[in-house]
Amino acid sequence: MISQNVFLKRSWPMLVQCAEAHRKPRWLPVAKSKIYRIPKRPVVSEEERLELLRINNNYKTQMRAIRRFYYEEMIKEKSTKESASSEMSIRLEAEDWARCVELNEKWNAEVAAEREERRKIQLAEMEEYALAHMEVKDRELKERIEKATKEIKRQKELSETFITPENLDEAIEYAIANPTDYNYAIDLRGKKYVGTETPGSLPKDEKRTNSSV
Amino acid sequence: MLPPASGTGKFYAKAAKSIRLIRQGCTNRPFFHISVTHRKRLNSQPVIEQLGSYDPMPNVHNEKLVALNLERIKYWLGKGAHVSPPVAELFGLAGFFPIHPRSYMNAWRNRKTTQENIAKQMEEEKAKETANL
Repeated sequence: MISQNVFLKRSWPMLVQCAEAHRKPRWLPVAKSKIYRIPKRPVVSEEERLELLRINNNYKTQMRAIRRFYYEEMIKEKSTKESASSEMSIRLEAEDWARCVELNEKWNAEVAAEREERRKIQLAEMEEYALAHMEVKDRELKERIEKATKEIKRQKELSETFITPENLDEAIEYAIANPTDYNYAIDLRGKKYVGTETPGSLPKDEKRTNSSV
Repeated sequence: MLPPASGTGKFYAKAAKSIRLIRQGCTNRPFFHISVTHRKRLNSQPVIEQLGSYDPMPNVHNEKLVALNLERIKYWLGKGAHVSPPVAELFGLAGFFPIHPRSYMNAWRNRKTTQENIAKQMEEEKAKETANL
């Protein structure tokens, strides 16, 4: 029975990409320029023809023999495959299997030894690297501690001059007693005049003070 | 969509097969798979199995490379697959088949043309010499 699916489902689409799409479609007539063109027939000499006939015949005979040989070989192989379930073949197969297993184990052992060596070397390398890393880290830590202690010392020395609630009044009094003027001015030449009073304005002030006095 | 290169085509056991070249290269760069397909199938359809490859453009060592899976070729020949002439030529040059008649024919024709060319050149040189004298 042929199922209906065979007709309904197409395993391959009917429209296939044509290999020679660049050629003239079959239904077009011969081109005008090619109507009276007669293609030249190849000329094969009698001698050549006979030689070709001879070698072609030889070739066909040999090919027939080769084909028959492979066909017979295929048949033979088929028959041996069918008779492969005999006891002899089973024993041979078991022996072969055992040999394969032995060989495989030997190879595995070799590979395992190699792996062990490699792992040892890798472990030593890792240890070395870790030790070196730790040393570097220790040194860095030491340096940081040293730096910090230095800073602490400096700050302690400075802390003697700090203003605390105890000596706050003294500091205020001292500041009031010694006012510091940070103002200054510069002229076009970049000369610096410290204080709020410039030399140019000094006479005026003097005048004013004088007048007021 | 191009069909896959090898081993995806459906096939029927009793249908005629052929071992042939299937062009896989792109424009101006031919490259062939040696595949086994149904004899009536187009080259653009999936093949049953790929048996080798053939690169007709000489490489840097001036070699045209051919790869053959001889075991499978033997298998398919045992199954009665036909062999297309170009593939038969390749097999002949590979020593798997006897040399194809077409190879012999091309060889002797090429030999003849080269000999003729050489003779023509010699004649021309002789003519030049006589003219000079």
